[in-house]
Amino acid sequence: MIKTFTQNELIRYIYQETTKEENTEIETALIFDDSLSNDLSELKQTVLALDDVEKSPSKFCIEKILDYSKTYEEHAVN
Amino acid sequence: MRKYSISDSELISLYKNGNEEAFADLVNRHRNKIFTTVYMIVKDQYLAEDLLQETYIKVVNTIKSGRYNEEGKFLPWVTRIAHNLAIDHFRKAKRYPTIVMEDGSNVFNSLEFSEDSIESQKIKEDTHALLRDLIKELPDTQKEVLMMRHYMEMSFQEIAEATGVSINTALGRMRYALINLKKKMIKLNIAYDKNLYPK
Repeated sequence: MIKTFTQNELIRYIYQETTKEENTEIETALIFDDSLSNDLSELKQTVLALDDVEKSPSKFCIEKILDYSKTYEEHAVN
Repeated sequence: MRKYSISDSELISLYKNGNEEAFADLVNRHRNKIFTTVYMIVKDQYLAEDLLQETYIKVVNTIKSGRYNEEGKFLPWVTRIAHNLAIDHFRKAKRYPTIVMEDGSNVFNSLEFSEDSIESQKIKEDTHALLRDLIKELPDTQKEVLMMRHYMEMSFQEIAEATGVSINTALGRMRYALINLKKKMIKLNIAYDKNLYPK
């Protein structure tokens, strides 16, 4: 019998917090359950959008951080 | 979700032994997630960069002086420092985040999207800015879980423990956050399409 899954379980699946056994069960259910498949697709799409809103600091900012680390001894002594 | 061949704690161990390359890997690995968390609060590229530098000064000082607690996870720890510094900034300035125009100038973004036309870059950045605003509009409990899970990479179990709720409540809040976000995106006609807005 194919197990039914909730959206909470799909969220755990998207964030790779499900076990191998759960993954197999979910992936089997996805083949037969269109509604579950649609839910997963909608949730995944929104999660992907979260990745795309990420901002990047400038290269200069990162270089300053790395420089601080390299010259830490000088800061610590002074 | 990205899987790395070398873990954060392994990189920290190397860094403790003087390997600056390991530190560079660590910084570059998490730079966007930590920066985004700060940016969501201050909404100013330059201020967010200053706060990111302040954050890492604390990180370097803590690790190099041997005071880093190995038990915690690196990303949630750094993000918490960054978040607190951003909040402190507004407390010290005796003002609170207001709507600030996005400056949009970003060397990395310009390089990354150099093949796009200026117009499509602008559309893309406007869409992303709108999405960031939508996240900020979410109820606090939902926004908290979303930030902790997606940007701080805490597990739902860790979030449940940190916020004093059950794992099902944490998952439920994440579910509502995603559903609400999707509804808002549809309402504002944000046509999120990977083909239109490739990374």
